Amino acid sequence: MSDGSIAIEIGEATETGERRQDLRRILRELVRNKAALLGLAILVLIAAAAVAAPLLAPFDPTLQAVEDRLKPPGWMDPEGRIHPLGTDHLGRDILSRLIFGARISLIIGLSAVTLAGTLGTLIGLAAGYRGGRTDDFLMRVTDTMLAMPFILLALAVIAVLGPSLRNIIFVLGITSWVSYARVVRAEVLTLRTREFVSAAQALGSGGQRIVFRHLLPNVLTPVIVIATLEVARMIILESALSFLGLGVQPPTPTWGGMLADGRAYLSTAWWQATFPGLSIMLTVLGINLLGDWLRDVLDPRLQV
Amino acid sequence: MLRYLFRRFWQSLLVLFGISIIIFIILHLTGDPAVLLMPPDATKEDIENFRKLMGFNDPLFLRWPPWEYLSPPWRFVTDTQYGRFFTGVLRGDFGTSFRHQQPAMRLILERMPATLQLTASAMAIAVSVAVPVGIVSAVRRNSLLDHAGMVLALLGQSMPVYWLGIMFILLFAVRLNLLPAFGAGGWQHLILPAVTLGAFSMARIARLTRSSMLEVLGQEYVRTARAKGVSEIRTVLKHGLKNAAIPVVTVIGLDMGTLLGGAVITETIFAWPGVGRLAVQAISYRDYPLVQAAVFTLALIFVIINFMVDVLYTYLDPRVAYK
Amino acid sequence: MRKWMAGVWGAAFLVLAAPCVWAAPSGKVVVAQGVDPTTLDPHDHEEQPAFNVLLNIYDTLLVRDKDLKITPWLATSYKILNPTTWEFKLRQGVKFTNGEEFDAEAAKFSLERVANPANNLRLTALRPIDRVEVKDKYTIHIITKKPYPVLDTHLCIRGAMVPPKYFKEHDKAFLARNPVGTGPFKFVTWVKDDRIEFEANEQWWRGAPKIKTLIFRPIPEETTRMSALQTGEVDIATNVPPHLVKELKNHPKVTISSAPSVRTIFMPIYTVQCEMSQGSWDCTKPVQSPAANPKVRQAINYAVDIDSIIKNVLEGQGIRITTPLTSKHFGYDPKIKPFPFDPVKAKKLLAEAGYPNGIDLVLHSPNGRYPKDKEVAEAVAGQLTKAGIRTQLKVYEWTTYMNNIAYRHGGAPIWLIGWGNATWDADNTFTNMFRTGELLANYWNPEFNTLLDDARSITDQKKRQEIYSKVTRIFMEDAPAISLYQQIDNYGVSRRLEWTARSDERLEGFSMSVKQ
Repeated sequence: MSDGSIAIEIGEATETGERRQDLRRILRELVRNKAALLGLAILVLIAAAAVAAPLLAPFDPTLQAVEDRLKPPGWMDPEGRIHPLGTDHLGRDILSRLIFGARISLIIGLSAVTLAGTLGTLIGLAAGYRGGRTDDFLMRVTDTMLAMPFILLALAVIAVLGPSLRNIIFVLGITSWVSYARVVRAEVLTLRTREFVSAAQALGSGGQRIVFRHLLPNVLTPVIVIATLEVARMIILESALSFLGLGVQPPTPTWGGMLADGRAYLSTAWWQATFPGLSIMLTVLGINLLGDWLRDVLDPRLQV
Repeated sequence: MLRYLFRRFWQSLLVLFGISIIIFIILHLTGDPAVLLMPPDATKEDIENFRKLMGFNDPLFLRWPPWEYLSPPWRFVTDTQYGRFFTGVLRGDFGTSFRHQQPAMRLILERMPATLQLTASAMAIAVSVAVPVGIVSAVRRNSLLDHAGMVLALLGQSMPVYWLGIMFILLFAVRLNLLPAFGAGGWQHLILPAVTLGAFSMARIARLTRSSMLEVLGQEYVRTARAKGVSEIRTVLKHGLKNAAIPVVTVIGLDMGTLLGGAVITETIFAWPGVGRLAVQAISYRDYPLVQAAVFTLALIFVIINFMVDVLYTYLDPRVAYK
Repeated sequence: MRKWMAGVWGAAFLVLAAPCVWAAPSGKVVVAQGVDPTTLDPHDHEEQPAFNVLLNIYDTLLVRDKDLKITPWLATSYKILNPTTWEFKLRQGVKFTNGEEFDAEAAKFSLERVANPANNLRLTALRPIDRVEVKDKYTIHIITKKPYPVLDTHLCIRGAMVPPKYFKEHDKAFLARNPVGTGPFKFVTWVKDDRIEFEANEQWWRGAPKIKTLIFRPIPEETTRMSALQTGEVDIATNVPPHLVKELKNHPKVTISSAPSVRTIFMPIYTVQCEMSQGSWDCTKPVQSPAANPKVRQAINYAVDIDSIIKNVLEGQGIRITTPLTSKHFGYDPKIKPFPFDPVKAKKLLAEAGYPNGIDLVLHSPNGRYPKDKEVAEAVAGQLTKAGIRTQLKVYEWTTYMNNIAYRHGGAPIWLIGWGNATWDADNTFTNMFRTGELLANYWNPEFNTLLDDARSITDQKKRQEIYSKVTRIFMEDAPAISLYQQIDNYGVSRRLEWTARSDERLEGFSMSVKQ
């Protein structure tokens, strides 16, 4: 028997709470939970819109028509085409910008979470497995990261690098890895003492092998839960950056940017800001519903 | 236990030190404050003189070669931009704000009470609304109250802060004329900004309280107590709260940091005279001393709060101190 | 139980519905600007918001009246004795609010303080002053290092008169927070980022102002500032965005007061790329862009429909300009007309220049510094792209913009800037923005440079006007910029206040009064 199968057998023994990656059971739970289904439905809709954006959008999102600015929803332009959600301050169709904006929001959310998650998981693994000095040092780095006010750090970094999609993902990623690191570290600390790890060590597996083959799969569960919820936070943070003028640059549409642009017109053309605001809210709602359910099913002790 | 706390204290100092270095590096990478602080029609000589006066031409961390700067022996690190800053901090002197020509720390300390007032009120409002809502939701699980509460919480977590703030102003100040639109003043001026700032935390804490309570309520000893006939409320409060408190207290500590940093946007929208606003402007103008003072102070407060949270932990769960 | 509840609800209702105690009572005026001044030392800043606040405390020797003509203020008359000597006769019987007397010694102290580089004050426009000589108690001679024909235009804004004893007794940090002057108001308090409060100086040499209390409050967020205006919490709000002008004009409590601004918005086009070499900027290399070709620059000008931008993006709140001067600036030549909108001609010129398939450019713009700056830049980029000049827009936060784009010549080939030249003389616009070697200039034309240098060093105004007309003609041929529009400053004003806006953005408390 290789150390691999021992690990798998022992790994299957669980403490309190269910941790069995039984796919069928999970799917059954999903169907039963209406809230989670709703969340999933919302997300699928938005993802579909993002992917099929060029097909779905009635207009080119960057096409300006300054004479047709700030027209209300349902307005028909001289060529007979309808703007279902109205036009913005430069005459661009809001619905099309929303659809393309879904792309950017999802890209930012998923990329930033991937970056932060990878970084945080690696740090958590190192801190938890190595312990001692490494752990202390990494935990202090974590504390430092937490104590820095996010906005000020983002402002400073973007001031250096300049605002662009890539840099925003970078800033969001390197400032939000802490939750992952903490959770992963806690998981590793618990797992470390269990038999399958000492068994693997006894069989002569090196540290790296243990970490990546045995520990990593087990910590992925809480990481996925956190990651899901963090996507929502990333989308909201991007809109905050756009508010401060540090967001993705025009004419690329982002929901946050549209909100920031539209806030000046709230009393005269409420549609410009309200629809992106609703989009953000719906997406975050969907993510939270799904993420909550994921947590309840996979790892209820996770309190983030 | 004391040794544990002392270790945490010492590590907090290291954290502050680390933060100051990071901010220092980032700021200095972004270019030259001399041109920013001088008017557009200043001449090149004016700018160069200003630069020399401020010491911007000096190296950041290390004088090279070090052996030429040994009188006094530590000069090769202290006669640098960071060196001057660090030795100043040891004396309590954070330098003079370039832009305002006032001592940097004095400017921060003058603004700090306003930010603290806002942040504390936000957290107080958040906790005093969220915890009862969370408890009620947990105890009356799946009832209408539960669903209503959780939906509101989800909404609160889904709205960007500035959006909420602007909507509040338009609704409560302009439309309904109930509350002032901006600025600091009496308690009426505090309501809208504090609720805006605290909304996200309120939502998070409500959901967290609910799930913590649910978990506790489902456990053995609670069921035992119920079976023995102890009244529901006493059960909930005595056993439930203390254990549910741990994650909630963690989040409160973490959120204070977010609130202190996030107050920036709220302060800008409501024209609240706090540190956040000052710090944002300072970063824009590369006003190093002011930024350093601001970040240092905010981080210090955060560190203190988390330290208090740690102390609270050792009371709530003594096992922690022996890790 | 019910009655008690009713009592609670009743009380709550009364408290919440009580008349707004935070609205301003008569005799007090609250002004909301977007920014707080960084200092109240009149010699240590170059910010319009600070000028606005401090002109109520400090007086200058000269001032511009409401028709923008230079008028004596603390000086009673002046004349030029020789190209480097100016004689000023000073007003008698004026006192500072701390009791010190205003006389030639005070004027000498004030001017020499601001002119002396050793004081490291940020106001540098008066550095050409070499020294001030006291001729008698109320006469001074100002001696400049070189002929400086625009000295009087600067003295309308800068060079505030300060009390010598008070300023000698205190350090810079104290003076920055405790201003004392001869002006219509006295300083009461300054809570940074919250309020600056003044009260009337009843001993002012022009008579007491009509309002008792003047308060300045900074509200950076535009929607909040407009909200505060509508609730009555502020009486004057600056920078009303164009799309709210109509709505606020008909508001029951508020109205709009407009003035054509001193500020013009334009987009300079690089013809040279300055590079840093050995500690200073070398501006001899041509820029690596099709914009180096004057035909391309002209094409760019023909491709932009500025009237449409003014009408649609600015909702009419802008005035078309020919060059970055307004019609009120000395040096303006009304006979020279702006570029018409002609996309066909633009394409033709591009082809003639060797670019039949169009070109690619980058346009840089700040965000939120000037009303609708980003939107205007977006619209221009869109129009250029339509005409075959594919334009990529880059938007920046203001201070990053100034640091990297403006001061480091990083804005190639086109960038947006606004310039409020409150000397009302063409020199401060053309020289600072276009003369090779100046901090913000990215243009090289030897004839242009020579003409500007000449105009700067002679004092015959007729000759200077001729030179500036020539300069304008070169400007139209060589097209170093797209001249967009002159801003219209819109101020939201409470209907209970009597005040009209000025073109130079000055907020003069002594011209405000509360209607009864």
